[in-house]
Amino acid sequence: MAINVGYFLRESVLNFRRNWVMSLGAVITIYLSLLLVGVSMVLGVIVSEIVQSVEDKVSIQIFLKDGAATEDVEALQGWLLADEMVDTVNYVSKEDALERFKEEMAGSPEIVENIRENPLPASLDVTLTDPRQVEEMVGKIKANETFLKICDRPDEPEESLKYGQQIVDRLFAFTRIIRLIGVVFVAMLAVVSLIFINNTIRLAIYSRRKEIGIMRLVGASNWFIRAPFLLEGVMQSLLGAALAILTIVAVQAAVLPRLQEAVLFLPVDIAAGMMIQLALVLVVAGVVIGLLGAGFALRRYLKV
Amino acid sequence: MVRAMISMRGVEKYYVPDEPALAEVNVEIEAGEFVFLVGHSGSGKSTFIRLLQRELLPTRGQIIIAGQDIVRLKNWKVPYLRRNIGCVFQDFKLLPNKTSYENVAFALEVIGRSKHVIRTQVPEVLRLVGLEDKMESYPDELSGGEQQRVSIARAFVNRPPILLADEPTGNLDPATSLGIMSLFNRINKTGTTVLVATHDREMVDSMRKRVIALESGHIIRDQHRGVYGYGD
Ligand SMILES: Nc1ncnc2c1ncn2[C@@H]1O[C@H](COP(=O)(O)OP(=O)(O)O)[C@@H](O)[C@H]1O
Ligand SMILES: [Mg+2]
Repeated sequence: MAINVGYFLRESVLNFRRNWVMSLGAVITIYLSLLLVGVSMVLGVIVSEIVQSVEDKVSIQIFLKDGAATEDVEALQGWLLADEMVDTVNYVSKEDALERFKEEMAGSPEIVENIRENPLPASLDVTLTDPRQVEEMVGKIKANETFLKICDRPDEPEESLKYGQQIVDRLFAFTRIIRLIGVVFVAMLAVVSLIFINNTIRLAIYSRRKEIGIMRLVGASNWFIRAPFLLEGVMQSLLGAALAILTIVAVQAAVLPRLQEAVLFLPVDIAAGMMIQLALVLVVAGVVIGLLGAGFALRRYLKV
Repeated sequence: MVRAMISMRGVEKYYVPDEPALAEVNVEIEAGEFVFLVGHSGSGKSTFIRLLQRELLPTRGQIIIAGQDIVRLKNWKVPYLRRNIGCVFQDFKLLPNKTSYENVAFALEVIGRSKHVIRTQVPEVLRLVGLEDKMESYPDELSGGEQQRVSIARAFVNRPPILLADEPTGNLDPATSLGIMSLFNRINKTGTTVLVATHDREMVDSMRKRVIALESGHIIRDQHRGVYGYGD
């Protein structure tokens, strides 16, 4: 087997040199498509981290009317906690609410000073395990009798609830569009890379048609004849993948710290494990593209 | 009864409907025979050879080589059939960028033979065909006869039980052709079954071997110790 590996490698390198323009085209398109895959993955991670940090802040606030009975509040709290959509329930008393308001309004002391009577209602702050279920949970709460009894405005229970459904919706719509655009671009580039590889392999087959004829004649096995071409396709893709990984690592090292400086309040960090995973994905995607492109060419242009 | 090395029964080959390139071919060739396949250009000789190589499949009929039905042979097994059938052609089919040695070695290399086997068998077979002095020559430094010897060496280096040749002397002068034919004879003496397609009348007549004559795809004569033919 040792001679075979040497033979295949020699043949592939020779082919690459013979059709270097096409081969370079193949490497560059693969590089670009894998780079795009990598960048979308990195962006995906950053965006989902941002979404996560926003989601953490999405909660349902239930405003309670003044003087609501403690046992009713506790009953509502217990009922909420028993629901599996609910993560935590936090009781905020009128005093706490005022305190919070004063803190937030510390920049405008004239407003704070003018408050005589406490106008703020007490509330239950509810966080959910999955923020996408906000709407559903709100519906359930509205149908709850205890809620209707002790909510701040029993005439319009809707007004006693505050939640961030719209933020969540908009973020999800945004990430969905980004993902879709990414997928379309990657698919287009993948097709272009396949066409390039297909062409280089076709040329390689053409320039070696004599050798192939003799190999068939003397009984070289079909896989022996195909292997150098498959290997060539894979080598081109791996070269593209390696370049893409290097680029992403370099850009990450140069750009991320600055980005983090610019947007302090958001997490834009990428774990090392994530980079390894990314490199693996690109290498595997490269090998698949290489094998597919070469495979198509072999099916069409190499009769064994 | 000895099993035939090559057995063709009711073989027909149509490239286009209603025009058989071969029809009603029934032939048995024993192991170790030397057979000439003669006929005008277009009579079906190459088709006959290519059927045995399994380059082509017959439209009808059975082809059995060494007990193996090659028509029903799975595609992936075809290379292993071809390792047992050496082939020589009119145009030599040598790789121009390889020396005689490398051309012959290539045939062993691509079927996965070890370096050791290649280093011993290639010089041996080149000596057999009389090219021990031309091992490092490239095809364009060799005469036609020498190039054909390289191609015979390549066909025979793996010691196949069958050697097929399609017009092997078609590009060579009579004296050189004689040398090539005697080389086939030597190879046949080692026990190899040899089938040579040719329209070289003098050659066939001088050798007095079995002659199968084709005309318009039909076998018109099958004669032991035969000659090329009568008339024309
Ligand atoms: N690939 C092909 N397609 C169509 N017809 C063919 C093909 N090859 C050979 N033929 C026809 O089959 C007949 C036999 O050809 P061939 O076997 O090459 O004869 P020979 O080798 O004796 O000259 C001829 O009439 C030829 O035109
Ligand atoms: Mg012919």
